[in-house]
Amino acid sequence: MLDFPSRRRPFRLLTVVVLFQVLLLAFQIKREHDVRLIRLWAVEILTPLQRAGTWSISTVRGGWRNYIDLRHTHAENERLHSELERLELRNRQLESRSVEADRLAVLLNFRDTRTEAPMLAAQVIGASADSVSRTIFINRGEHDRVRRNLPVITPDGVVGKIVEVFPNSAQVLLIDDKDSGVGALLSETRTHGVVKGTGDPSLHLDYIAPTENVHAGETILTSGDDRIYPKDFPVGTVVQVKQASPFQTITVRPAARLDRLEEVLVLLTQQEISPKKLPDAPEPATANPAGNPAEGAPSEPPLPQ
Amino acid sequence: MSSRVQAEQHIEVHKFYAGAVVLVAFLALVVQAFLNKYGSWAGLLELPLLVTIYFALSRRNPATGLLLGGSIGILQDAVSHLPIGIYGIAKTLVGYAASSLGGRVDTEHPVSRFIMVVIFYHFHEAVLAILNRVLLARPATYFSWKLLIASAVNAGIAVLLFPVLDHLRKPS
Repeated sequence: MLDFPSRRRPFRLLTVVVLFQVLLLAFQIKREHDVRLIRLWAVEILTPLQRAGTWSISTVRGGWRNYIDLRHTHAENERLHSELERLELRNRQLESRSVEADRLAVLLNFRDTRTEAPMLAAQVIGASADSVSRTIFINRGEHDRVRRNLPVITPDGVVGKIVEVFPNSAQVLLIDDKDSGVGALLSETRTHGVVKGTGDPSLHLDYIAPTENVHAGETILTSGDDRIYPKDFPVGTVVQVKQASPFQTITVRPAARLDRLEEVLVLLTQQEISPKKLPDAPEPATANPAGNPAEGAPSEPPLPQ
Repeated sequence: MSSRVQAEQHIEVHKFYAGAVVLVAFLALVVQAFLNKYGSWAGLLELPLLVTIYFALSRRNPATGLLLGGSIGILQDAVSHLPIGIYGIAKTLVGYAASSLGGRVDTEHPVSRFIMVVIFYHFHEAVLAILNRVLLARPATYFSWKLLIASAVNAGIAVLLFPVLDHLRKPS
């Protein structure tokens, strides 16, 4: 297998291969160009496997869990025939799908009770294959009108933004990635800052002056300053505040459960996602969940439905 | 010179069934990506690195080792958010070093495998840290307790995984 003519000159080959990759890196960094073709091929090869893996594991997991339940529940009933057991197992598998349907219904309900902002439900099919970057892959891509920099959310809060789009999938940079930044504000004082990822499960809220009064438990919302995430959507909760100079060190727990993502919503616009106004309902005093006046128009027009 | 040739003749070079290397490499990437979906704890694992080390040690051909490591690393970069080449370079160097070492030391004993995986894990992370600092100007640590634990975890997995992969070898 794999015998190469350069077997006798491996060091020369090593130099060539490393140099090639250094030049490739330099090209990407200097020109800010991405080597899209390599990513496209890799993703097109790996995502079908990830998709199949996700489907299989979720089916097996649901079936296995319910099989254990089944055994515990009916431990005393040893007279059950094997055929009946198989049918029960099948029934439980269907129930686990029903649980999944319930989860999707929550997303659907969230979508229906919000403004006309177009949203797209997507399933998480995989993540990056390295330990440094915090990204996930979703089963929606160019064919579903997904494009770069669109915000990704769950009903709990902000998840991240689209960084790469492929024909049938897209890569989402999670807000806890080291390269992530979200324009944010403190819900009580409306002080603006930036929530940055750390590569760990917690986030940091930066650029908050020591004079500002911040306390644990305070909610952090999107500010809309980054022109990516819609304004006044939950980002997280303050868990720790340390006085420092020139800015406070504020640790934040993400509102969305970033380590348990299965379904997400892609916002196809950056317009606000305040509760939907009913046709005959009286005009509400405030238009957003935080109870603040809606400031400004959407940063860009919504995409056609 | 002649004694060196004689010594190298005693080194057993293992061959694998067709497609086994490619299949295992893909599987390692897919499983790693799948596990990373379920939280930061999976960041302790480096299955693509373990596969690189295993095949490089077994083949004992530096050219094969570096090309296999480079290919796995580039694929890993391609499905991450990093510029392509970071993991590629790190795994190219690991593949080269592991296959060079494979011809000189016992690579079959579990203790030997454990120690080698710990060493190569830290070498891999050190190369990543250097590349991140020098080429990407990103902060990166050369050593931490988390890295030490991760190296031990990966070495432990390698001790269990490598005998399974041994079954993919063609009988000599």
